[in-house]
Amino acid sequence: MTQQSDSVDGPLNWFPALMGWVLPGLGQVLLGHRQRGFRAMGGILGIFLAGVLVGGVDCVDRREDALWFYAQAGAGPIAFATDWANSALLKSGKVGRLIPSPPSNPRLPPPQVTSFKTVTMSNEIGTLFCFTAGLMNVVVILDALRRQPASPRGWGA
Amino acid sequence: MSVLVAWIPFLQPMTALGNAWWLLMVPLVFGVSVVHRAVQDPTMDGYWGRVVRLSVKANAMLGLLALAIYLFVYFVIPLLRAD
Repeated sequence: MTQQSDSVDGPLNWFPALMGWVLPGLGQVLLGHRQRGFRAMGGILGIFLAGVLVGGVDCVDRREDALWFYAQAGAGPIAFATDWANSALLKSGKVGRLIPSPPSNPRLPPPQVTSFKTVTMSNEIGTLFCFTAGLMNVVVILDALRRQPASPRGWGA
Repeated sequence: MSVLVAWIPFLQPMTALGNAWWLLMVPLVFGVSVVHRAVQDPTMDGYWGRVVRLSVKANAMLGLLALAIYLFVYFVIPLLRAD
């Protein structure tokens, strides 16, 4: 099956682009470029899930690693769900246990961190994978914004 | 083995990789190639072949870059005079 690339000047596809943030690649699928969309979806979700598998949910942290999270959030709700899992499961102590860590301010009580928290290379690699997935989805969203629908009747036809 | 048994996927980081963490470059580059080719290619004909070629080229270039940095750090820098 041949699908022509047809990113040309024209009206911007705002709704497919938004859907592309909700689920990576969905924008291209809505525009009728199904193969393109599903392959982008597989790539982005694969990179993101591989990152969480390697680094654990702790590698997506909206509060402690905000700068990383800004890019990771490009992957869509899956990044927010991972951050929620980090807060609800690890930081609350529901999984693992909370242990005191060295305080940055000696006048304050030592902060509690989960025993699953790590500063090893695995965590850094996982963070990098999720970061890359978020940035790649931004590229895919921009592509959905500009790409001409496969059907001349417009997207969704 | 005990490390693997105790590991909870997606909650705990994968520590079994040890010093082989850099090998994760290969799946990362493959994933980026999958997305890049899906967005960039004019047609989807021969898609997977182009994905594999891009992955091999990108990994080879990263390997060459690592080799160049290794040679610079271990062979060029020691030649520099400290005084």
